[in-house]
Amino acid sequence: MERRIGVYICHCGANIAATVKVKEVAEFAASLRGVVVARDYMFMCSDPGQELIKNDIKELMLNRVVVASCSPLLHERTFRRVCRDAGLNPYLFEMANIREQCSWVHEDGATEKAKELVRAAVMRVYYHQPLESMEVPINPNTLVVGGGIAGIQAALDIANAGYKVYLVEREPSIGGHMIQLDKTFPTLDCSACILTPKMSDVGSHPNIELLTYSEVEKVAGYIGNFKVKIKKKARYVDEEKCTGCGLCFQECPVIMKSEFELGLAERKAIHIPFPQAVPNKAVIDKREERPCKAACRDACPIYTNVQGYLALIAAGEFRQAYELIRKTNPLPAICGRVCYHPCEEVCNRGQIDDALAITALKRFAADQIDVDKLEIPQITKVGKRVAIIGSGPAGLAAANDLALLGYNVTIFEALPEPGGMLHVGIPEYRLPKDILRKEIGYIEKLGVEIKTSTKVGEQVILEDLRKSYDAVFIATGAHESLKLGIPGEDTPGVIHGVNFLRDVNMGQRVKVGKWVAVIGGGNTAIDASRVAMRLGASSVTILYRRSRQEMPATPAEVEAAEAEGVQIIFLAAPIRISTENGKVSQIECIRMELGKPDASGRRRPIPIEGSEFTIAVDTVIPALGQVSDLEFVKGLGLEVSAEGTIAIDESTLFTNIDGVFAGGDVVTGPQTVIAAIAAGKKAARSIDNYLKGECFVAEGEKYVPQKLSKREIATIKERFPSQSRVKMTELGPKERTKGFTEVEQGYTTEQARREARRCLASQIEGCFNCHECERRCDPNAIDFEQKDRLLEIEVGSIILATGYDAFDPSVISQYGYKKYDNVITGLEFERLSNAAGPTAGQILLKNGQPPQSVAIIHCVGSRDKNYHEYCSRVCCMYALKFAHLIREKAKAEVYQMYIDMRCFGEGYEEFYERVSTQDGVKFIRGKVSRVTDQALSDEGKGKLIVIVEDTLLGSVIRVPVDMVILSIALQARADADKVAKLFAIGRRADGFFMERHVKLEPIATFTDGVFIAGCCESPKDIPDTVAQAKGAAAEVLSLLARRKVEIEPIIASVDEEVCSGCGLCAKVCPFGALTLDGKERLMLVNRALCKGCGACAGICPSSAISLSHFTPRQILEQVEALTY
Amino acid sequence: MAVINPLTEATEAIIEAGGEALKSCYQCGLCTGACPWNLVRSFLTRRLIHGAQLGLVELESEDVWLCATCGACVEWCPRGVEIVDIMRALRRIGAQWAATPKSLKTVMASLGAVGNPMGEVREKRANWAKGAKVKAFAPGTEYLYFSCCVPAYDPQAKRIALATASILNKAGVDFGILGSEENCCGESARKVGEEALFQSLAQANIEAFKKHGVSKIIVSSPHCYHTFKNEYPALGGNFTVLHTTQFLAGLIENKRLKPKKPLPKKVAYHDPCYLGRHNKIYDEPRRVLAAIPGLELVELPDCREDSLCCGGGGGRIWMETKKGERFSDLRLEQALGVGAEVLAIACPYCLLNFQDSLLTMGKESVLEVKDISELVNEAI
Repeated sequence: MERRIGVYICHCGANIAATVKVKEVAEFAASLRGVVVARDYMFMCSDPGQELIKNDIKELMLNRVVVASCSPLLHERTFRRVCRDAGLNPYLFEMANIREQCSWVHEDGATEKAKELVRAAVMRVYYHQPLESMEVPINPNTLVVGGGIAGIQAALDIANAGYKVYLVEREPSIGGHMIQLDKTFPTLDCSACILTPKMSDVGSHPNIELLTYSEVEKVAGYIGNFKVKIKKKARYVDEEKCTGCGLCFQECPVIMKSEFELGLAERKAIHIPFPQAVPNKAVIDKREERPCKAACRDACPIYTNVQGYLALIAAGEFRQAYELIRKTNPLPAICGRVCYHPCEEVCNRGQIDDALAITALKRFAADQIDVDKLEIPQITKVGKRVAIIGSGPAGLAAANDLALLGYNVTIFEALPEPGGMLHVGIPEYRLPKDILRKEIGYIEKLGVEIKTSTKVGEQVILEDLRKSYDAVFIATGAHESLKLGIPGEDTPGVIHGVNFLRDVNMGQRVKVGKWVAVIGGGNTAIDASRVAMRLGASSVTILYRRSRQEMPATPAEVEAAEAEGVQIIFLAAPIRISTENGKVSQIECIRMELGKPDASGRRRPIPIEGSEFTIAVDTVIPALGQVSDLEFVKGLGLEVSAEGTIAIDESTLFTNIDGVFAGGDVVTGPQTVIAAIAAGKKAARSIDNYLKGECFVAEGEKYVPQKLSKREIATIKERFPSQSRVKMTELGPKERTKGFTEVEQGYTTEQARREARRCLASQIEGCFNCHECERRCDPNAIDFEQKDRLLEIEVGSIILATGYDAFDPSVISQYGYKKYDNVITGLEFERLSNAAGPTAGQILLKNGQPPQSVAIIHCVGSRDKNYHEYCSRVCCMYALKFAHLIREKAKAEVYQMYIDMRCFGEGYEEFYERVSTQDGVKFIRGKVSRVTDQALSDEGKGKLIVIVEDTLLGSVIRVPVDMVILSIALQARADADKVAKLFAIGRRADGFFMERHVKLEPIATFTDGVFIAGCCESPKDIPDTVAQAKGAAAEVLSLLARRKVEIEPIIASVDEEVCSGCGLCAKVCPFGALTLDGKERLMLVNRALCKGCGACAGICPSSAISLSHFTPRQILEQVEALTY
Repeated sequence: MAVINPLTEATEAIIEAGGEALKSCYQCGLCTGACPWNLVRSFLTRRLIHGAQLGLVELESEDVWLCATCGACVEWCPRGVEIVDIMRALRRIGAQWAATPKSLKTVMASLGAVGNPMGEVREKRANWAKGAKVKAFAPGTEYLYFSCCVPAYDPQAKRIALATASILNKAGVDFGILGSEENCCGESARKVGEEALFQSLAQANIEAFKKHGVSKIIVSSPHCYHTFKNEYPALGGNFTVLHTTQFLAGLIENKRLKPKKPLPKKVAYHDPCYLGRHNKIYDEPRRVLAAIPGLELVELPDCREDSLCCGGGGGRIWMETKKGERFSDLRLEQALGVGAEVLAIACPYCLLNFQDSLLTMGKESVLEVKDISELVNEAI
C-alpha cells in the first residue's frame, strides 16, 4: 500500500523553536520518502494543533503520522488518540523527541539533529503495522502496603466505598510514625487521639483484611491483575486466642529496647508494641535459635527457668529474677547455697569453657531480697485441711504450694525448730540459720501452721491426723544413723554423724577430742569432719573404703575440707574401736582394694589380708548413711518396703492408705534437698488433684538434658569469646575454721552480672525459648511451633504508603548525638513529651531533672549536601511545636537555631507568630557549627554549649543549654530500593519513590496500577499525607469504576514455522508470559501477561520471536536513518 | 552613612580568580562558628563570603589575610562551598592591588629569588643531610625524599629530616635528595594569592623531578603532599606522592620496620589540617604510633575531622600572630588537658608553631613536641 505520511513539527512555544529552525525541519521532512505533508505549528498538543492533524488525515488520506515534539512520556497518548479519532489506527503513529533530546540540550546543531530524528521517525513509521489493543477486567481488591496514616486513610476510603482491601504492615501494629508523635502542629491535637479511632476502624472494618507483621515478597502481573505473595511472619502467638491481657510480658525474662519508645524504654521479648496497638495482640520477638540446649533446666528436678533468671540478673533486674525463681522454688536462698546443682553438671557452657555458677547466681538473686519484706499474695481459701508430717524441704515445698492453692496446712515437726535436715543436717557455715528461718517464715506467712516439738507417734497419732485432715503428707526424712557393726561402737567417744551434726546445729555444747576419725565418704562425713575442725579438733581423719573417684560427696566440699586440714585415708575401713579407761583410744583399720562393680555400679572394696593398721584417736564419728524411723506408721497399717522406706505409687505418691501421701527421703532413702523439694511439689499437685476429685495427670515427658554436638561447639566457640567462670570470694581456710561463719561470701553485683552474662542462652538477641509465657497464658495463645506463612492474594491495584526513616544524626559528629546524653532527636522528644511515653510526658534530662534551657537545631541532615539536599518540610513546624511544649511544660528558655523559617501551610505562619510572641521563644538565625561540653565561662560549666553565628547579629555566640533537640531530616526508607524493584517503580535521586509527573501525576507511578502516597513519595506533613492518601484511594476507585483496562498491544509473537520450543525465552521472561506447548514443540505467549519488554526477542537464537511495534525491520530502518 | 551598591564587576573578578564557589553559599554561618579564629577573636567567614557575593570586600582589611585555610569550615559546609578557594581568590585580587601585608611580601620575594621562604642560600639546601648517609638522587633511585624548606634550613626542624633519613636507611629504602635543585612546593604562595609565583616554583620542581627521573616522592610536609598530589598534575607533574606517615605505616605493615624499643609515654596526636581534612589521612599516623611498644596513644578533644589548626596554613606561618590569638596555644592546652607527655605532629609548620608556644607558655618541662618520624626513629 502506498505510504502517505504526515509530519508535524511542534514549536512548543519557544522551547523548541528558539534553538531549532522548525520551518527548515518541516521543509526537510517534506522531502522524505512517503511524506505527503509536513507542517510546523506553535503547539501541536493544543486543540487547534490536534485538529490540524485530524483534518490532514481525513483530507489528505494520511495513513502514517509523525509528530516531532516533546517526550512520548508526555504526549504519545494524546497523538495516538488524535489518530484514532480521525479513523487511523493509533499505532501508525511515531513520535520524535526534539525537545528533551534536542532543543533543551543543544545550542549548535540542534536543527541538524532535529532533522535526523525526524528522518529516523519517518523511516520507522513507514514500516508500522496497525495493532489492536486488548481490554482486561480489573480485580476489585486492592493492596495497601504500609500501615501509617497514609495507608490507613487510603485503606479506609477504599473499604468504605465497598471494596476489599488488604493492608500489609511489617511491624506488629499499624500506626506508623504518627502514632509515636505527641501533639501535632499547628493545632496541637494529640496525635494518638486523632489516629487511634482510624486505627481501630481499620482493625474492625469488614472490608479490610489487616496483615500485620507481614511483608510483600513478590509481585507479578499487571494493572488490574496483580498476584502478590505476602510473608506473614510468625508471631508465635495465636492471634485468634490472644486477648491482649499482657500477663505474658510480666513473666518474660528477656528485656529488650522498645522500638516504639526509640530505645528510651524497655520491653520484653514477648510484647505488644504500645497500649493502643491494632491488633492488640502479643508478638514474640524471636530472631534466632538459642545457641545452647538449656540442659540446666532439663536436669533440674523442679525444671527451674535457669536461663530466665540468669538473663534477668544479667540485665540487673534482681527482684524479677528472684520472683521467677520463687515461682517454682519455695526456698531460693537455701538452694542458692546447698543445692548440689545437677544443672551445673550439664550446663552446655561447660562444654565450651566453664559451666555457669548457677547456684551462686541463685543465691545472689535471693540475697538481694529481704524475704521478711516480700509481699504476701492474695489467696482464696478452698476450705480443706492438709496435715504434713515433717518440716524438711519436702514438707515445706508441699506446704508452700498447697497454701498458695488455698489449703489450710498444718506441719507437724518432732524437733523444736522447723527445717528438718536443712536445720539439723547442714552446718551453719554452709547454710546460716537466719536464712533458713526467713524462708520458712515466709511460708508461715502464707498461712501454714508449723507445730514444732510435736512428734507424730508421741504427741499425736497418725490415725487421728488421717481422720481430722482431708489429706496427710508424710515427709519425715531419714534421720537414723546406720551402725558400723564393729566392736567398740558403743563406747563413749563414738558419736554418729547425723547425731553429731544435729546436736551442733541445735546449739548444744558438743565436745570433740583432739584426734577425730570420721568414717564414710558422703556429704555427712565431710560436714562432720569440717564441723569437728571448727570445734577445735587437732586432727581430723576421714576413713573411706573406696577411692576418691567413688566418693559420693560433692567434690567442691571435699576440696574445701582438705583445704581446712582434714586428712582423708582412702581404701581403708575400720575393723575395731579400742578403748582405754572406758574411752576411745585407737581405731584399728584394714586396707582395701577395689574389686568388681557391685549393685551400685561402684567397684566393691575387698579387704587386703594382713594390711591392718591403727590410728590413735579419741573421737570416732561414723557417717555411713541414714534410715527412717517408721514406728509411727504401723498403727495405720502403711506398707513399708524391704529397704525400710514407705511404699508408694511413684506417679501419685499415694500410699496404700487413701488420703495418705508420702515423699522425700522417707520414700527414697537419703537424697538431696532439690529432690526433696521436687517430691514436695509433686505431692502438692497430687493432693490438690485428689481433693478436687480429679484424676492425677501423670507427669508429662521427662526432660533429658541435651549435649551440644561437636559442630555446635565449634560454631559457638567461633561466635562467642571464651570466658571463664567468675570466682566467688571465700573465707580463707584459717579464717573459716575459727567458727561457723558462712564460707562462701556470695557474688558482688558486678561479679554476678558478669557471670550471668556468660549464659549462652542470653548471647542472642530476643526470645530464647524459655516458654515462661506459655506457662502463664490462660487462653493458651502461645504457639512456638508457628512458622512464617506465605499468602498469595490477587488484587487489581496497589498503593504504596511505606513512609520514611528518621535521619540518624550520629554521623554529624559536631552535634554530639550519642556522645552527650542530652542531645536528642526530634522523634525522641516526641516520646519524652508524650503522656504515654517513658517519662509520662515530663520533659526531663537524662538525670531526671527538668531542663532550664533548650536549643533546637534546625535542618539536621536536611538542606545539606553532606546528607540530604532537600528540605524535609516538617522540621521548622515541629521545632516550633517543641518550643511551645517546652515553654508550656518545663518553662525552660528555648532557642531556635534556624537557617530559614518555612511555615507554609494553613495556620502555620500564625503558629510561628504565636510561638514567638506568646511563648517568648528566642530565634537565632544561623546553622549551628558545633555542640560541645567545653565551656569557656563558669556559667557554661556542666552545660551543653551550642556554638553558632547569629548571622543577623554578625557574631559568634555560645549558648549554654541543658538540652539540645536535633530537628532531623526525613529520609527514604533504607530498603526503598528493594521495594521499588519489587513493585517495578522508580526512585528519584533523593531516594524517594518517583511519581509519574512531579506536578500533574503526583500519585501514579510509571507502573500502571501502582500508586504512592505519603512520605514514601517525599517528606510531607500529616495534612498533605492524608490528602495524597485520599488521592490514591480516588485513583484506585476510578480504576474500579471503569471495571476494565486497556492493555497495550505491543507484545511478543512467535513465528510458529521457525520456533523449535527450546524454551530460552521463557527463562528470561520476567513476567512468566511464555509457556511451552509440549505437543507442538513451540512457545506460546500469554497476551495479558506480556509487557512487551523484548527480552525474549533478544535471546531467541532463531529469531522466531519478535515484538510487535519493535520488529527488526522497524528498528533497523530507524537506526539506519541515524547512522547514515 | 553612604549608600552602597553591589559591585558586580568585583564579584565577577573574584569568580574569575577562582572564587566560583561563592555562588553556592546560602549564608547559614556554620563556617563562622567552625572557624578557629572565633576561639580567639571575631572573624566572620560568612560575612566575608557575602561581601564577595555582592562585590563589597575591603581587600586591605586584615580579614582577607587571616584565614589559615585549615578547612574546618569546608568540612561541614552544608552547601559544599570550597571556602578556601574563595579566600585564595580574594587574596589573588588583593595581591594584584598590592594589598598584601608587608611581612608576606618579603617572604614571597625570597621564594622568587632563592626558592625558599627563609631567604636562605639555595646551595645550602642539602646541608642538613651532611653526615646522615643521604645520597643525591640519581636516575634509578627509587624514592625522592623531599624534606620541605623548613626542615632543610630551620635548625630546630632539621631533626625531622634527619630522623626520616635515619629510618629510611635502617629500613633499607633506596632514596635520595635533589638538594639545591629543590624549590619550595609553592603552597603558601598560592594560598596568599601569588599565583604566578606558585606556577614558577611548581614548574621548576616539576622540571627538576622529570630531569632526574623521579617517579615516587616521600614528603615530610602535608603542604608539599597536598601540592604535589593535588595541584601539580594539572601542571603536568604526575608523581606518586607519599607522606612519611603513610610510608612508615606501609613499612611497618610489610614488617620491613619493627619498632622494638619501648617508649612508655602518653602521646597525643595532632592531625595537621593538610594531612587530615584536606587529604583525609587520619589512620596511618595513628597506626604508626600504635606500633610503638609501650606508647599510650590518647586523643585530643578536637581530633580527626574536627582537629584544631596550629595556625600555620595559608601563609600564616610567615606572618606574625599576636599573643593571645595563637591557636597553637589552645592546642597545647588541650594536649596538657588530656595528660599527654608528647604531642606528636606530622607537619613542619605545626612543629614551628608548637615549639614557639611551648616556649612562650613555659611548658617545655612537661610536654615535648615531636614529629612522628622522631618517635619511630627512637623506637627502632
